[in-house]
Amino acid sequence: MPEIFIDGHRYEFEGDHKVLQFIQDLGKEVPFFCYHPSMTAPANCRQCMVKAGQYMKDRETGEYEVDENGERVIRWFPKLQTSCNLMAADGMVILTQETDELVQRAQKDNLELILINHPLDCPICDQAGECPLQIQTYKYGPEGSRFEVKKVHKPKRIQLGPRVVLDAERCINCTRCTRFTQEISKTDQLTITSRGDKNYPTTAPGREFDDPYSLNTVDICPVGALTSADFRFKARVWEMNQTPSIDITNGKGTNIDLWTRDNLILRVTPRFNAEVNDHWMPDAGREAYKIFNENRISRPQQKLDGEQILSSWNNAIATLSEEIAATDNSKIVVIASPHASVEENYALSKYTNLLGLNQPVFTPHIEEGTGDDFLLSDDVAPNANGCRLLGFTELDKASIKKEIKKAELVVILHDNLIDREVIAADDLKEKFVVVFATNNSDTSKAADLVIPITTAAEHAASYVNVDGRIQRTYRAKETKYTERRLDLEMSEGRLDRYGTNFDNWVTEDNKIDCLPVWKFINRISEHSGLECNFNDGREIMDEIASTLDSFTGVSYAAMDEQAGIQLSIKKETSTSK
Amino acid sequence: MAYEFTKEDLREIEKIKAKYPEVMPATLPTLWVAQRRFGHVEPEVQRLVAETLGLPEAHVHGVANFYTQYYKEKKGKHVLDVCTCLSCQLCGGYEILHHLEETLGIKAGDTTEDGTFTLNQVECLGACGYAPMLQVTNDKYVNHLTKEKADELVDKLKNGEEPDYEQMKMPQHKNI
Amino acid sequence: MSTVDWKNYTPVLLPDIKDLHKIDVYIKNGGYKALKSVLTDKKSWDGPKAVIEEVKSANIRGRGGAGFNAGLKWSFMPPADGGPRYLACNGDESEPGTFKDRKIFEYNPHVFIEGALIAAYAMEITTIYVYIRGEYKTYIDMVENAIADAYNKGYIGKNIFGSDFSVDFYVHSGAGAYICGEETSMLESLEGKRGYPRVKPPFPAQKGLWGRPTTINNVETLSHVTGVINNGAEWFSGIGAKTHPGPVLYGISGHVNNPGVYELPSGIPVLDLIEIAGGMRNGKKLKAVIPGGSSTPILRADQLDGITMDSDSLRTVGSMLGTAGMVVMDEDTDIVDVLWRISHFYHHESCGQCTPCREGTGWLEKILLKIKNGDGEVRDLDLLLDVTTQMEGRTICALADAAAWPVRFTINRFRDEFEARCKKKSHAVA
Ligand SMILES: Cc1cc2nc3c(=O)[nH]c(=O)nc-3n(C[C@H](O)[C@H](O)[C@H](O)COP(=O)(O)O)c2cc1C
Ligand code: SF4
Ligand code: SF4
Ligand code: SF4
Ligand code: FES
Ligand code: FES
Repeated sequence: MPEIFIDGHRYEFEGDHKVLQFIQDLGKEVPFFCYHPSMTAPANCRQCMVKAGQYMKDRETGEYEVDENGERVIRWFPKLQTSCNLMAADGMVILTQETDELVQRAQKDNLELILINHPLDCPICDQAGECPLQIQTYKYGPEGSRFEVKKVHKPKRIQLGPRVVLDAERCINCTRCTRFTQEISKTDQLTITSRGDKNYPTTAPGREFDDPYSLNTVDICPVGALTSADFRFKARVWEMNQTPSIDITNGKGTNIDLWTRDNLILRVTPRFNAEVNDHWMPDAGREAYKIFNENRISRPQQKLDGEQILSSWNNAIATLSEEIAATDNSKIVVIASPHASVEENYALSKYTNLLGLNQPVFTPHIEEGTGDDFLLSDDVAPNANGCRLLGFTELDKASIKKEIKKAELVVILHDNLIDREVIAADDLKEKFVVVFATNNSDTSKAADLVIPITTAAEHAASYVNVDGRIQRTYRAKETKYTERRLDLEMSEGRLDRYGTNFDNWVTEDNKIDCLPVWKFINRISEHSGLECNFNDGREIMDEIASTLDSFTGVSYAAMDEQAGIQLSIKKETSTSK
Repeated sequence: MAYEFTKEDLREIEKIKAKYPEVMPATLPTLWVAQRRFGHVEPEVQRLVAETLGLPEAHVHGVANFYTQYYKEKKGKHVLDVCTCLSCQLCGGYEILHHLEETLGIKAGDTTEDGTFTLNQVECLGACGYAPMLQVTNDKYVNHLTKEKADELVDKLKNGEEPDYEQMKMPQHKNI
Repeated sequence: MSTVDWKNYTPVLLPDIKDLHKIDVYIKNGGYKALKSVLTDKKSWDGPKAVIEEVKSANIRGRGGAGFNAGLKWSFMPPADGGPRYLACNGDESEPGTFKDRKIFEYNPHVFIEGALIAAYAMEITTIYVYIRGEYKTYIDMVENAIADAYNKGYIGKNIFGSDFSVDFYVHSGAGAYICGEETSMLESLEGKRGYPRVKPPFPAQKGLWGRPTTINNVETLSHVTGVINNGAEWFSGIGAKTHPGPVLYGISGHVNNPGVYELPSGIPVLDLIEIAGGMRNGKKLKAVIPGGSSTPILRADQLDGITMDSDSLRTVGSMLGTAGMVVMDEDTDIVDVLWRISHFYHHESCGQCTPCREGTGWLEKILLKIKNGDGEVRDLDLLLDVTTQMEGRTICALADAAAWPVRFTINRFRDEFEARCKKKSHAVA
């Protein structure tokens, strides 16, 4: 097998590898800026320099040549090489900054040059704390600058588009952003303008950078040149904690990270998943952080004389139990939800099964025209396939309406059927309506009983995307009933760990009084003397996997290990109305 | 103002496109066609070029801004590009530039108030043996400049005359 | 000391023939015979490979600056696979001090066109582009006319001279960017983009224009091919300096009496060349010479004894032949000003793609401006030298080197003048 020697260690490899990527995959590092594994390598930042050479082999014998001391003969490339576009070759010898002074020197020199015209305003720069330039300067850069002449000035605070702001002085001209619009989103909206040290990225004059994927450029910009108009100046990275999650605003199941400070989700960024979204996500999904923070339903609500008022959990449980007991089974319709997780749907269906009710029904949430050829599907719910695999009856709008018409008690799990115009508020008149909901909506307003439930940011649960991949979320945000410090699976940011109540950012205000669906089911079952005892999503998934063939082999551990698991789905059903 | 190519321009652009296996290579020559037609390639003209070729506007913008000969803003009727680069510097390019600054009452980079002249300082124009020299509006070279010759040129242009093409003789040759 | 017999040399690229730019005059003087010969005289020319071999052994060293053997470069083209293959002729000519290719465009465009056609045949090229800097509008028109005439005569187009060789030939005008003379930047510019030099590998012979095999040659290089085919490789390699043979178009500018382009054998003594150009202006003393365009290291007058205009000889004193565009400076020249102006040029022309060049060229210019204005300090000179080492050999293309060398060598060779300018400040402060 071909071999390569990096800093004196021997590694075997197969296939084509760029040396920089190879080194990274080994868990080692070479500093770099312009390289991005999903785009072409222009090798323009010149930061990733290594010393490269080749062990000489005898043409005839194929043996390595040795010198008089028995050392293998190396033919070094005459110049240092940029590792990002250097292909690994058999017998190649690489020295990085770890072992070679010239390489160290070159990397330091390059950083000095990058910084001469850089504003160095880290204290007010959004990128600080997650800035490759800052980090690499700290690790490999010069102690000071010898630049004593005037810096180049360029436009600042340019609103490139509705969501992206440019500070051209911080730009290091890596062209990641322009390459993104050319190679990934294919809108070609950005170009570098001007020449030399006056270069900076821009749109065509009078045009907006309204690329539906524009915010990815903020993520990949290695400096604070591109910032998010929405997130700008909101928080420092080290004040937040980062939790893996799934985009619940679309059926694609884009993998994301939620960034939390004081129990508010402040931003959403894409998380790499080669099978789903690579490094990217649509701008639309980033808005979702608002769902987790704003307009939330906290504490159960009950309608009294046509007015919803705050109720209590005990009241809510008692009321629902009574309503179920008082209604003929055939007059109860339970509507499951493609917007709720597999676990939530399962917990509800298990309860209704125990009650002897019909299988829940559901209707997918399709918005024609939302989809593109990239990371958006017309199916805007995260879990329609989950409902299908659980064996729920899929109905179109008209049939759902019919089912509701026949019923006297309507239980709607986390699906804004009125808001999305499946039914009208009038369709629910004269019925007792129970809605499990996260946020206030026209649907929740129409309910006689509202059960506040956790969002994807507050529970660990799984969703099956349009392509049949099951993936899960983690708890990113505490509810009134959870405690970050007691929950080993919850990430802790610096403030969570060391913050005190005297810190600006630590309050109790942002914890919602809500429960995961299954916890509510536990309590209501107990109330009705039924056996439901779900500890958490993980246990529910184990139960599902052992009882339902379509989920065989699924577990949280397996999903975590494989970044989701592909389930077999019938393709045609995933697009049905 | 809405800019439009004439039928003739469009025919020329079609001919240009035929020279290449793809459309993008037509960017530079089409910008030239546009600049000859409108006298500049301001953003709206860049947009016209992009639309005509079916190429992204940002691309055309980036290209127009890379090359110095495209006028990204309106210039004077006559643009005097005075070379002050190496050989011209040695032979008095800066004196010619400063002389013209005085005569025209503007600084290099500016346009006279009446819009007749734009004066620029430019890099080597490939006429180093005939220094100092200047180029008039991306066209004729005026070589071996003296202050007098510069003045004559300004007068000539003011009178609506075009500078002549100056053939620079090969010093070894007698006949040509 | 070289024994190049330049007094009896008769120009072949730019002979003294009236109206040679007209195709009929060119034909009357033996034009397009070489092309006809390689295409139709199967006895003399056993296919394209034979042409490459002839050109290789003539050792035409690239006249664009790097001095690479043209025939050898041609032999790097992969075997034809039926798809398009390109020849890109470099007529960007923007390196300060260089103004020779325009003479070919003006006086003898057909010698270039014919040479390019022969090259195209040798490499089985399907389309030729000649990239001419936009400022040469006058010459662009002339070359376009010449190409049109050659098309009319059937020398370009389908089945040239009845052979099965067909090729197209187009002019592509630049629009003001020195960097587009760098061969891969030129390809980008031809493709209609910003002139960003490409990272190599892949080399143009593998992936050039539109990802297809492409060879880039300077206009003068290609023009020599015609003579090589007409007169044989030995004729060419017998002219001038042994290791860098053939006629050279020397462009001489600066403080000489008769600046201009001179066609003479390679390897002429530098000092003779100054005499050929009429000697020093106003009887001044020679101070320095930049032998081959602004990027080639400057030489002090005292370094020039016995030095000839070819790469080997110039290397002995630490310089290069480059484009053979020689800039002559007399004793009154302010070297600090000159170096600042050169640095200004490279700063202005850096494409800005890669860090060391984008940032370094500006830094060099700014320090030099400070020194020029009398605000420099001696330590700035060492800083300048340091910055040049931070740029050299670490960029995508050679512009950074071209910007660094003049700074490095000018300071090293005229350190006293720079120090004197820096010390002025120290005194003023004291
Ligand atoms: C910054 C830079 C500018 C260049 N400019 C020119 C030029 O204007 N004309 C030219 O023929 N070669 C120029 N070259 C050299 C070309 O890259 C290339 O080597 C040459 O065209 C090859 O032709 P040749 O082998 O016939 O010399 C330049 C190189 C660099 C690095
Ligand atoms: S981009 Fe990075 S280095 Fe630059 S100011 Fe921002 S945090 Fe600091
Ligand atoms: S804005 Fe950021 S991503 Fe774009 S070129 Fe500049 S540094 Fe790179
Ligand atoms: S060395 Fe300079 S001109 Fe060449 S690619 Fe880099 S920035 Fe551009
Ligand atoms: S990462 Fe290699 S040059 Fe930028
Ligand atoms: S330096 Fe002025 S034309 Fe070359």
